[in-house]
Amino acid sequence: MAKNEHPSLDNQKLNCLNMQFPFALDITFPGDLEYIPAIRKFVAEILQVSSFSPRFAYRSEIIVDEICNNAVVYGCHSENAEISLSSRVGSDNIEFIIKDQGGTRENITRLKKAVTTDAAEKDESINQEGLGLEIVRMLSERMDVVIDENNLTSVHIVRKREDERNKI
Amino acid sequence: MKAKQLKIEIREVPGTDMIKVMHFSGELVSECVMQINQVFSDLTDQKQLFVIAEMSAVTLISSAALGEFMGCRKRLLEQGGDLVFSGIKIDIRTKLNLMGATKIFRIYTDVRSAIAAYNWEIGHKPEKINLKFPPFLKIVPPIRQLVSRIAKQKGYGNRDSFRIETIVDEICNNAIEHGRNQVGELIDLSITIDPDKIEIDVTNISDPVKLETLTTLLVPDNGSDKKNKADLKRGRGLTLIKMLSDELSVDSTEQGTSVHVKKVREE
Repeated sequence: MAKNEHPSLDNQKLNCLNMQFPFALDITFPGDLEYIPAIRKFVAEILQVSSFSPRFAYRSEIIVDEICNNAVVYGCHSENAEISLSSRVGSDNIEFIIKDQGGTRENITRLKKAVTTDAAEKDESINQEGLGLEIVRMLSERMDVVIDENNLTSVHIVRKREDERNKI
Repeated sequence: MKAKQLKIEIREVPGTDMIKVMHFSGELVSECVMQINQVFSDLTDQKQLFVIAEMSAVTLISSAALGEFMGCRKRLLEQGGDLVFSGIKIDIRTKLNLMGATKIFRIYTDVRSAIAAYNWEIGHKPEKINLKFPPFLKIVPPIRQLVSRIAKQKGYGNRDSFRIETIVDEICNNAIEHGRNQVGELIDLSITIDPDKIEIDVTNISDPVKLETLTTLLVPDNGSDKKNKADLKRGRGLTLIKMLSDELSVDSTEQGTSVHVKKVREE
């Protein structure tokens, strides 16, 4: 429980003023690339008001941009396709789960390969095309992809606060 | 060196017969002008007026070809249609930008985005964004910014976007202030946007302790002391929303409170 810095306020009001970690934030938007700049900025601003550093916020923004772009380009085929982005913001970490309706078999195979294989082991084609996921992997603590029997694709990413670790 | 031969393939868009996608591949050199002109003429003869020129397989666009596209677009516009580009490679796009062509043509990253933009404009198809957020006041500024950015991206003017932002700010703040603020309980914000209007719905769980104050504020002014007292400091937000919007309805019960706002596009 956060320390009461405002003795005149009751607990209910304090709950509104102080952010309590962890908290969840879910957004669903049309599978269209033009929404992504607004979504990535939103995530960065949420992290900044949650006391994460601008650098952490910017790097998380890049992750969201990359995964959402992939979800739209490879995972949205129907006219009414939607992307779901669930975030769980902790005091020292953030988790993202990005879901789309799933792509073609080819794209899913490429995605699985890009996620499971180490950069050094990848063949040339993946190295050229899978650079986005490579950046996400570099910037995140953990990245998993789950593809269910209906091809629904869900990417789970965990990032930890890096401010202290990188302070030299 | 011989130029890569131009190929043009016309594809249907599932679900609509108004939009046609022209897939170009190869190099659009000056010799291709007649070929481009012929394809567009065939389409306009068939009253196919909304065209997407898909350029992901194009490696060069000459100034003559670009001029032909401008002429074709002009003919389409005169008949109420349009021509947009999609999938243009970054180096070609840079050149088009330097030539000022990006001020004339709308360029989309892929065919899907171009189709969505046409569906939005011609079909007035609404798009929906849903957000669930925790009841913390600090989160409201990013939310209002998000909605404003989306409105601007969808072509709403600065004034409309700012008014929408103000409405979102006000109703989200109200939901946090007058709703139940328990850990794990989320507030629902739903935005439905089309080229003519935006509809905003906010739903939160009611707090029985605050329900009386809220219902007092919602009662239309009947001159009662209770209302007047409440009016002194509270309820200005709702008045502001009424001023800025075209429709406001509030439904408050012991289970939950939902606010619906409709704002018609002005500019």
